[in-house]
Order: sequence, then structure tokens, then C-alpha cells
Amino acid sequence: MSRKDLGFLSIFGVPIILFVLSLTGLIGALLQDGLWDWVGAVLLGTTLLALATTLIFRKR
Amino acid sequence: MRTRTIRAWSGVHKWSSLISTVFLLMLCITGLPLVFTHEIEEVLLHQQWEPGRQDGERLSLDQVLEVALSRHPGEVAAFMSFDEDRPVVNVTSVAPDGPAGVYNFQPIDQTSGEAAPPVSGHPVMEFLLQLHTDLFLGLPGMLFLGAMGVMLVVALVSGVVLYAPFMRRLPFGTVRASKAARTRWLDYHNLLGAVTLAWVLVVGVTGVVNTLATPIIAFWKDTALKELTAAYDAPVEAGERASLDAAVRRAQAALPGMRLQFVAFPGSDYSTDHHYAVFFHGDTPLTTHMTTPALIDARTGDLAAVASMPWYVKTLSLSQPLHFGDYGGLGLKILWALLTSP
Repeated sequence: MSRKDLGFLSIFGVPIILFVLSLTGLIGALLQDGLWDWVGAVLLGTTLLALATTLIFRKR
Repeated sequence: MRTRTIRAWSGVHKWSSLISTVFLLMLCITGLPLVFTHEIEEVLLHQQWEPGRQDGERLSLDQVLEVALSRHPGEVAAFMSFDEDRPVVNVTSVAPDGPAGVYNFQPIDQTSGEAAPPVSGHPVMEFLLQLHTDLFLGLPGMLFLGAMGVMLVVALVSGVVLYAPFMRRLPFGTVRASKAARTRWLDYHNLLGAVTLAWVLVVGVTGVVNTLATPIIAFWKDTALKELTAAYDAPVEAGERASLDAAVRRAQAALPGMRLQFVAFPGSDYSTDHHYAVFFHGDTPLTTHMTTPALIDARTGDLAAVASMPWYVKTLSLSQPLHFGDYGGLGLKILWALLTSP
């Protein structure tokens, strides 16, 4: 990689965070009932939130 | 990563996606309404029904069975299941010498012994489920769709491998709107893939597992279940069987705290020739998807074995809710629908 290339965390940091949050939400809602149904939905929803935020506030 | 390596992974990514994309589109379109099957059928199929005797004593399972079989003389019981929302017991019977796969299904009001209206799915939802599950082709159709699911997983893995080379100089979420359309669409593709990877991977992998349901259950029956009952030889005829109520009570005593799901009678697909197989599931969000059968000797009523499910059957059981997203309330279902939207 050249000096202009971004590091591993710069490339994969946000995707990894979103991956962990989504997976936690999916499995948490399966293992627990009640409050975790909503927590799971919120965690899974971070994917759509990240998508919307990125598209709305991206540099044009 | 070397150029040749990137080219190879790009080829894998491109072709695994192209091969499966039409079928995945079909699966998304049919899967979207299926997420809300319960809600849709509640609206379209709302049936007003009251049990015959609201406060009366319920018939025993033996009495329900006798009523059901009296309406189809000559048939034998195959399955008995229990409506979760109504005091109704469903008895499935079959003619011993009749064509394979032809059953009579009778919902019986447990308060009166009268026939209750069946709770069937809406024809459109049934059509969508069949199309989604096996393209109306049975096991070959399921296995074909499973292969498409494998293509999807290959596309996801190769996409992760290619993400770094293509994004090594671009901050997360970059969409080069001023560039050519092809560049812009690539940026959208990379962004969508990166944010939805976990969900698509879970739905894809669980979808593949679900397409293997028939061989998984067949394998379980031919191995683990057969080992449990190897000592038993002669089948038990209907007239020689112990009380069904006693069998279910015996099974419930062996598995306290679990909920009765259904009973498979001797000679049926989910039991042996010598046993009542009484199926239970748990009452926690996880264990409600885990089925445990207790095998009761149909002649003596004694507990023969409790067959804990092997890992591959548990995997299948967990794959179903994780694939359909119908386990975490309406919020999760709405998100499932938004993520499914092609």
C-alpha cells in the first residue's frame, strides 16, 4: 500500500462496529424477550441509521 | 493484494452474484410479505368462533381421538396438535392402505367434541410461502434455492475481501456523485454492502440451512431416533395401545416446565412403530424454537427415552426464526422489511 492508503481501522472500523451492533441485536432479541425486542430492533436499526446519515451528510 | 488476486476475487464476486441475483430478487419479493404473515392473515382471515361450552370440562385427549376417528372409520391417527389460541385439538388421521401423503385433518372443539373451523393460511400467503420455499418443486426446488443461498454467501465473503482494495483511499460512506454513473453505483454498492453485511449474512446462511430441513430431519430419524428405539421390534396395533392421556402425562412428568407441542402416533413419520412421540418446546424466547420429544412405549405407557435434539437439528430450529425475523416483535419485523426491500 502507498502512503496515501488508509489504515485497517479507517477502512473497516465503521463496518465492524455496525456488524457487531447488528449481530448483537439479532441474537439478543432471540435470546431474551420484552425489552430486548426493542433493544434488538434499535441495534439492528443502526445499519439503516448509518446509511441514512452517510447519504444525507456526505460531501458532494 | 496483488492485481491478479484482486481480479480473481472480483471474478468470484461477480459470477456468484450474477448467477444468484434473479432468484435472490424473487426471494426478497416473496419474503417481504411473509415477514408479516401473522398480521396479514389476522386482517384477511379474521374468523369469529366461540367454543361450544366456554366453562365446561374439556374432553380428554383419548375422548377427542375417539371422536375424530369415529368420523373417519378405518383410519388411524398420525398426529395430534394443539391450537395455542383456542381450546381446539387437531387430529390428523390417515387410511392405513391409502396413498402416501394423503391425510384427514380435523380440528376438534375440546369443550364439546364438535368440529371447529380450521385455521388455514390465506391462499395468497400460502402461494408466496410455497414459491419462496421451493419454487413449487419440492425438495429439488429447496436444494436449488439452497445453492443460490450458498452463492450469496460466497458473494458476501468475496465482497468483504474486495472491500479493502476498493476503499483503501476512500473514507467510509464516500459516494463520488460527480463521477461517472458506474463509479457512483459502485460507491452505493460498497456502502450498502458494508452496512448490511451482518443481516444479509444471517439471513443467507439461515436460508441455506432451512433448505436442508428435509434431509436433516430424515437423518435424525434414521440415526439418533433409531438408536433410541433399537430394542423394540414389533409394532403396536391401535387396539393394544396405552391411554394417550396417560402417555402425555408421563411425558410431561419427564419434561417439567416445557410446553406440549404435538404428538406423533406409532407408525407416523415423526415416531416409530412402537411409541407415542410427545413433542415439547420451551417457554423462553430461545427454547421455544427447540423441540424435545419424549418417547412413550405405546403398549405399556412407560417412558422409553427423552431424545434431546442433536446439534444439527437445533441449528435448523434456530435458523427458522433468524431467517424470517418474526421473533422480536413488530419493531424487528419492520426493520426486516426495510432491509429486505430490494
